[in-house]
Amino acid sequence: LISELQTIVGQKHVLSRVGDLVPFKRDATPLFQGLPDVVVFPKNTKEVQKIIRFAAQNSIPVIPRGAGSSLTAGTVPIHGGIVLVLTRMDKIIEISSSEMLAVVEPGVTTAGLAGSALKQNLLYPPDPGSKIVSTIGGNVATSAGGLRGLKYGVTRNYVLGLEIVLGSGEIVRTGGRLWKDVAGYDLTRLMTGSEGTLGVITEIIVGLLPAPEFSLTGIAYFKNLSLAASAVSSIISQGIMPATLEFLDQKCIKAVENFANLNLDLDAGALLLFGDDGTIPAVTQNLHKMAQICRDYGGYRIEIASDLTRSDDLLEARRCSLPALSQLAPTLLLEDVCVPRPKLAKMVEEIDRIAQKYKVLCATFGHAGDGNLHPTIAFDENDPDARERAIAAFDEIFNLAIELGGSISGEHGIGAAKLPYLERQLGNDQMNLLRRVKSAFDPKGILNPGKLGS
Amino acid sequence: VNSEPKKLKFSSELLAPCISCGFCLSACPTYQLTKDERSSPRGRISLMREYQSDLLPLNDPTFQEESSFCLGCRACEPVCPANVKYGALLEEWRDLAWTKTKLSIRVRILKTAVRLNPIIKFVGWIRGSAKLSKANIEPNDKYLMLGCAERILFPQVSRAAIKLCPSLKVPNDQGCCGALQAHNGSSDLGRKMASELGVALPGLIVTTSGGCAAHLVGVLGRDRVKEFSEFIVETNSNPILKSSNIKKIMVDGHVARIALQDSCHLRNGLSVFKEPREIISGLGEFYEISTAKVCCGAAGTYSLLRPKDSKKILAPKLKEILESNIDYLVTLNPGCYRQMSKGLRKSGVKVVHISELLDMA
Repeated sequence: LISELQTIVGQKHVLSRVGDLVPFKRDATPLFQGLPDVVVFPKNTKEVQKIIRFAAQNSIPVIPRGAGSSLTAGTVPIHGGIVLVLTRMDKIIEISSSEMLAVVEPGVTTAGLAGSALKQNLLYPPDPGSKIVSTIGGNVATSAGGLRGLKYGVTRNYVLGLEIVLGSGEIVRTGGRLWKDVAGYDLTRLMTGSEGTLGVITEIIVGLLPAPEFSLTGIAYFKNLSLAASAVSSIISQGIMPATLEFLDQKCIKAVENFANLNLDLDAGALLLFGDDGTIPAVTQNLHKMAQICRDYGGYRIEIASDLTRSDDLLEARRCSLPALSQLAPTLLLEDVCVPRPKLAKMVEEIDRIAQKYKVLCATFGHAGDGNLHPTIAFDENDPDARERAIAAFDEIFNLAIELGGSISGEHGIGAAKLPYLERQLGNDQMNLLRRVKSAFDPKGILNPGKLGS
Repeated sequence: VNSEPKKLKFSSELLAPCISCGFCLSACPTYQLTKDERSSPRGRISLMREYQSDLLPLNDPTFQEESSFCLGCRACEPVCPANVKYGALLEEWRDLAWTKTKLSIRVRILKTAVRLNPIIKFVGWIRGSAKLSKANIEPNDKYLMLGCAERILFPQVSRAAIKLCPSLKVPNDQGCCGALQAHNGSSDLGRKMASELGVALPGLIVTTSGGCAAHLVGVLGRDRVKEFSEFIVETNSNPILKSSNIKKIMVDGHVARIALQDSCHLRNGLSVFKEPREIISGLGEFYEISTAKVCCGAAGTYSLLRPKDSKKILAPKLKEILESNIDYLVTLNPGCYRQMSKGLRKSGVKVVHISELLDMA
């Protein structure tokens, strides 16, 4: 196995000693670990193809990995096998301002792509919380969302074409450089969010937008999250479609303030960030309108950022919410439920009730405008009772989301962590369809086993 | 020297807080160089945890290699929302992994040399570091620390510092702060040396070395130690910074264009980075290089132990500096001073310590 892989990618790029494998046991998900048998770092599509062919012949699992910032154990080799790290494939091949698109290798970081696009005055809109580390390959594999989802959508809305290596070893190009292209099934869209279970993404074409001339963020405090959620529903029902509507509950505010020192109000029950981009008059007008609606719903200490730095700081507060919560307890169990917007206030209240029922410490933040919530349970994984209660609460929150017509995952994906709950949402027939789709792409079932489609 | 039994494990309270979010990867110079999880703070913590759970032996080659490939710049700390004290973990790691027999001969010599106070004093005197003061040692006074490497390699730094702040006392009887020991596998001894220095200089210690400042603060506390640029800005003791006296530094008829190389431990450990920028902005045209906060590769003994890697870390910074049309590059730490001087030797960029820059104006 080792020598075969070494001939493909070179000795230097194959790791097999236990100490070398340990760092690849886990990603950003707690409670899930698995030791790979070997880790390889291919440099190009041909090498990926050879690795996949070899793995298929020998029925060895292959787990694609970018920066390892998955929150669903999507890159954990739970059945061992080959961890395929794509960070050496990190070229930005092209940024075309005339076609408004970029062609990149999967190992480019999200922030790297966005930064290069911005130099040509173009915007790559998806901006997941982990954008400074996460790779585009991983973003496409999970259809990552982010803070601008409400106005701009998620990764799925920008992927125009892909080059993929299927589980059989065939190289397929889907889509291309066109915004309009209906030749064949929409495999590009199927691959986006496929979590490394259908093929390995080796090249990506994404659409770009003109960069907005101006953007600004405001902040409002509320007595509780439910009031903030009502303000959000009202903002959207009045026809305002802002770039950003994010909220944090009191526990998150405290954790973030402790890390980032942004002069946040620690006594408030909830905080709402509202922001928009576009022309200066339009943005200013929208921010003032949103500030007024917040006031109508009991919002106070409302502040519109005085400049871009303050604006960026406020958004940064939201991005670091999850890791900052680790100050509460060593393990964080993170949810990613998504409900229809009118159900947001109800969802928030019910989460509170569930947290009390199971006596768990639960902090909630999320993309209020998308109905996408991240209730996060902080506990000590070495305390078996606490662990059990956390998992039970987690379970009930899933059921609640499905009951309200929502989803168990808005943007993080299913991975190994949520696979046991997926059937509740999709039903048995759809689960079987997923498995049949997977077997068409990956007949030997070697790609990321134990995750989607298993 | 070490009477206490050697610790065989990491402090579990240091290892616990990491949630493996991976935010540190973007700030880590070795991860950026290799894009390999093993060479990231998160990957290294995975290794430490594996060792802690007895699943990896002390002599595992990767466990050993990564303890030395890490620069110890602590750039992962300010970006860590979980507040992991990586610098403290690394000190413990090297205590465990860098046993005497495994330590390179050059580092062993260096670690011994910095403790030979009479020699340092003598060479420092020959080289002409700041004049010593004969006044009595008083606990409420302010003292200039001469350091070990700087006293010998860059005596002009302390000379300039004392010229600018003549009220600082400079006792002869002062040794190395122990940072070198702490970062190279002898953290107990490093702390002991810092405490001794705290006795020799019983009041406020002003140091021209960012690395020493951070180490001393860890042992003596924040209120006992000031880095030089911080001291200048806070006490406003230098008349040059008062607007009426500002005379910009000129080069060939134009205001000098001046860039800064942060001192890693000063920035990442003590959050001091605004002060030197403020000073430079008053003395010339300040130009922020995008890699200012990234380690230059000197990293204590790193440039001696791993010269090839040290050069690789330095390369992108040199490229940026050479493309930026800079007259002066300011440093805040003797290690960076040496590294940047070597790197920019044949260029037109002059490397100075901030005290020298102030002295010029």
